[in-house]
Amino acid sequence: MSDSEKWAWWTLGVVVLTIASYGAYVAFVKSGHAGLVFGLLALAALPVSRRRYFPNRYFDERERAIASKAALVGFYAFWLAFAALINAIGLIKGWNAILTVPVWTLIETLCWALILVLGVQSLTTLVLYRKGPHA
Amino acid sequence: MPSPEPEIKNHIRRLRFDHGEMTQDQLAKQAGVTRHTIMALEAGKYFPSLLLAFRIARVFGAPVEQVFEYHATELNL
Repeated sequence: MSDSEKWAWWTLGVVVLTIASYGAYVAFVKSGHAGLVFGLLALAALPVSRRRYFPNRYFDERERAIASKAALVGFYAFWLAFAALINAIGLIKGWNAILTVPVWTLIETLCWALILVLGVQSLTTLVLYRKGPHA
Repeated sequence: MPSPEPEIKNHIRRLRFDHGEMTQDQLAKQAGVTRHTIMALEAGKYFPSLLLAFRIARVFGAPVEQVFEYHATELNL
């Protein structure tokens, strides 16, 4: 298994753990901010911060192609979700509605966006490593 | 029905064995890529850049067209 695949599995694990923790918090704790569990996302930075991961690690052209495609798919997913969210708000609240949103909600939305990008990016990485970047 | 994608086949596996049963790892090191990329190339899951194609051909001391073979389809010449 290549380092990029290890990164993808790790990131996918962090994403699943965060979503599960959020669900468990909402279901069982019910007090305070469930958004605190988004701190778990910091674990996604662990492979990058490990000393042996990046120094002297050479990513060849195929690995770079896969990483670029996976990042692109991740951000496509983000834009799709963003457009869907804005349109959904417009349809539900009305196109002239004015929203008052707590900053905390904005931060949580940002964390969900990060979860989406990381999840799609890591899944795409795993799929491309099996099928090849020309798949 | 013919595939609309042009097909690039390669003879890397055969050439490795013709060159003293060179391992994928040895070829990868000499071509400056990872062993996974050589595996993907041999499995036809990845088409290399022109630069990598020339590097691999150079490792085998062969012209690039002896390593890679282009099969034009009816739809994509």
